[in-house]
Amino acid sequence: MAANPVPDHVPPEMVRDFSLFTSPGMAPTPNGDPHAAVACVHAGPPIFYSPCNTRDGRGTWVITRATDQRRVLQDAESFSSHRSIFASALGEKWPMIPLELDPPAHGVFRSLLNPLLSPKRVTELEPAIRERAIMLIKRIAASGTSCDVMKDFAFPFAVNIFLRFLGLPDHRLDTFVGWAKDLLHGDDVRRPAAARTIVAFIDELAAMRCKEPVDDFMTFIVQTQVEGRQLTDEEVRGIGVLIFVAGLDTVAAAIGFDLAYLARNLKDQELLRSEPDRIALAAEELLRAYPTVQITRVATKDIDFEGAPIRKGDYVSCATMIANRDPAEFESPNTVDLAREGNRHAAFGYGPHRCLGSHLARREIVIGLEEWLARIPAFRIKKGTAPINYGGHVFGIENLILDWS
Amino acid sequence: MRIIVQKAKCQGHARCSAQAPDVFKLDDEGYILPGDIEVAEGEQRLASRGAQSCPERALELDRTPAARG
Ligand code: HEM
Ligand code: SF4
Repeated sequence: MAANPVPDHVPPEMVRDFSLFTSPGMAPTPNGDPHAAVACVHAGPPIFYSPCNTRDGRGTWVITRATDQRRVLQDAESFSSHRSIFASALGEKWPMIPLELDPPAHGVFRSLLNPLLSPKRVTELEPAIRERAIMLIKRIAASGTSCDVMKDFAFPFAVNIFLRFLGLPDHRLDTFVGWAKDLLHGDDVRRPAAARTIVAFIDELAAMRCKEPVDDFMTFIVQTQVEGRQLTDEEVRGIGVLIFVAGLDTVAAAIGFDLAYLARNLKDQELLRSEPDRIALAAEELLRAYPTVQITRVATKDIDFEGAPIRKGDYVSCATMIANRDPAEFESPNTVDLAREGNRHAAFGYGPHRCLGSHLARREIVIGLEEWLARIPAFRIKKGTAPINYGGHVFGIENLILDWS
Repeated sequence: MRIIVQKAKCQGHARCSAQAPDVFKLDDEGYILPGDIEVAEGEQRLASRGAQSCPERALELDRTPAARG
């Protein structure tokens, strides 16, 4: 990945050799710990410049303190979300909605979508989520004393719930996982190809629901109104594509990181198994310790921020994995304490773009852990195997083979 | 005790109501209802926990004597 030259306005002493993509520990590493690797920035200044800190090798300012990230993310007027990252992979320019819109347009769409994923709505989805978790875990328990958690549980679980939410049948599950993988982790050929496939799929689904409405998410989107008009095709696409990409990898990775932690910490595992009431709080702590998303904004004007000359057009990174290890915000941030109280972690971001799916994601994670611990006896990482952890755009874990023989 | 609600800062994390659903009421979108909250005697502990769980710092405890009164 070729780094762009550091812009002239960035003082050389503010440049640091750090990147969520290329620093040590970010590449896929057996038994790696990319979260611990990024936590080291807290020994340094509150803001610095990283010459290569996006997938396409752009430089960004890096905000390390949670309180400063809050300031940036709550101030959409100075720090814009308008980047068209998905469309730009196709050489096009349309926003994913609401992710890449700024207020006030953002709020219009956000209000439209909020009720569909509100805490109340998610409570109604809970029985279906639980049924799915039980079905998958029963199958795993019946077929032996070992499994690949990501392949056999985390991905099928997350994708199924998402398909059900969109109103799609289950049989295309593997196809969807493949698209999502290529899109997030593919090379320069597979990524645009997957993006094109997903766009075509969403366009086609929208056209179908226009002609023959049913009771599902996409039908709602094509029928609903904002400001007295129907949505344009581009808006429908922007929403559909975002829902597709936002909730697959993130939930699956969270479940993977959680089970990997419990496999390595048998006391905590046994505590949650014998006292399942503790799982909801524990899941918050694991979201704090192992979050997955780097948030990026673009400065809309020149701003001097904690001594750093941010100039209009500069990228500003607010990595949730960095905020969540801030010692000024969390006591002993590098220690996992499953009973941690007052845990105001940043895994779902801050400000108006706070993860729309956060209530659903939380339910999925908690239910996944509850049903797993209730049905699978004491488990460890299988001897002779090593989970592969990686950093980058969305942190993740692969090859997580658990054993309970 | 009273809780001062800065509605404009609320982003719908719903952490407050996860701690104390009877104290912190949300609208249909999942955001806090406007208006400061008078907390009843027995609910103070839960309420302050809820207020302190807000990631956006939208909820502020007011423990001044007037508020207690
Ligand atoms: C553990 C799982 C998840 C994590 C860690 C996560 C994290 C995030 C973060 C950090 C943001 C803020 C991005 C920004 O400010 O630029 C975000 C936004 C978003 N997420 Fe999630 N997410 C998760 C699951 C989900 C799920 C399941 C869905 C869909 C149902 C979803 C849908 C969205 C949407 C639509 C946005 C954009 C909201 C807006 O711009 O107003 N997410 N997510
Ligand atoms: S925790 Fe804060 S942001 Fe979340 S609903 Fe309550 S007041 Fe709003």
